[in-house]
Amino acid sequence: MDELLLSKVRLGVVAELLGFDWVAFSELVRALNVSNGNLGAHVSKLVEAGYVDEEKSFVNRRPLTRYRLTKRGREAFATHVSQLQSLLQGVT
Amino acid sequence: MERIDAAAARDHIEMVDRILAESHQRLCSGGEHFVVWGIGSAYVPVIFALVNVGIAPSAALWSVPIVLAACAVFSILRSRLTRSMLQRSSLVQREFFNVLWLTLGLAFVVNVAVYRIFSGAAAAAIWSVAEAIVLLYIGMHGNRRAQIGGVLIVVSLIVANFAPPAVVPYVLSCGMLVGYAGFGASELLARD
Repeated sequence: MDELLLSKVRLGVVAELLGFDWVAFSELVRALNVSNGNLGAHVSKLVEAGYVDEEKSFVNRRPLTRYRLTKRGREAFATHVSQLQSLLQGVT
Repeated sequence: MERIDAAAARDHIEMVDRILAESHQRLCSGGEHFVVWGIGSAYVPVIFALVNVGIAPSAALWSVPIVLAACAVFSILRSRLTRSMLQRSSLVQREFFNVLWLTLGLAFVVNVAVYRIFSGAAAAAIWSVAEAIVLLYIGMHGNRRAQIGGVLIVVSLIVANFAPPAVVPYVLSCGMLVGYAGFGASELLARD
C-alpha cells in the first residue's frame, strides 16, 4: 500500500484531480469539506512526493493556487486503489 | 508503517467512487455557445436564400457579419466570465473546447475569406461539417445527445445533397438548428 495515500484526505485530493486538467485550492477545500490549513498540509506532502504539481498565479489581482495530477500520482493512485480492492476481495 | 483495515478500505473506495461519479457530472460542454452558434450559422444560408428569391432586400445581407460578430462577441465574453468563475477545468472540457474553436474558426475563415471557392450552399455545408465534427467529437466521450446532434447534421448534409437547389439552404439550416442549437439547448436543460 502507498502510505501517502492511506490518508483519506490525500486520497480524496488525488481522486478529485483525476479527471481534471487542474483544480483550484478553494475548490478542493469545498469538495473535500476540510479546513484550509488541513488541506494545505496534506497537499504539500503530495507535492513533495511528486504526485501533484502546484501552480500559483494571480487572476483579477487575486491569488489563485491550483493543482494538477502528475503521471506519477496517477500511477500511484491506480496501484493503491487496486490494492484496496484486492484487500476487500480477500475479506469478502 | 501505517496499516488499513477492511472497513477503512471500504470507506476509502466508496469515497473515491463518489468523487469520480460527481466529477463526471461536472463535465460542462457550454450549451449556450452551441445554441448561439447554431442559430447564428443557420441564419446565414437562410438570409442568403431569401435575398436570392427576392423575399428579403439585398441590404439584409449586412445583417450576416453583424450576427456572426455578435456570436463571436458572446462566446468571447461568456468564455471569459466562465473561466473566471470556474474553479476547475476538466481534461475533456479543455480538449473539446480546443476542437470547437479550431473547427468553428476554420469554418468562419472559409465563409469570410474563401467565399469564392466555397460559394452558395458550399459555405453553409462547411459550417455543417465543422459542427458535425465538434458534436461527434463530444459524442466520442460518451455524450449521447452530442452523438444524436452530430448524426442529425450529417443526415441534413446528405438530404441537402439530393434536395432541389432552392431547398438546400433551408435543409442545412434545419440541421444546424436541430443538431447544433438543439444539442446546446438539451445540455442547458440537463445542467439545470
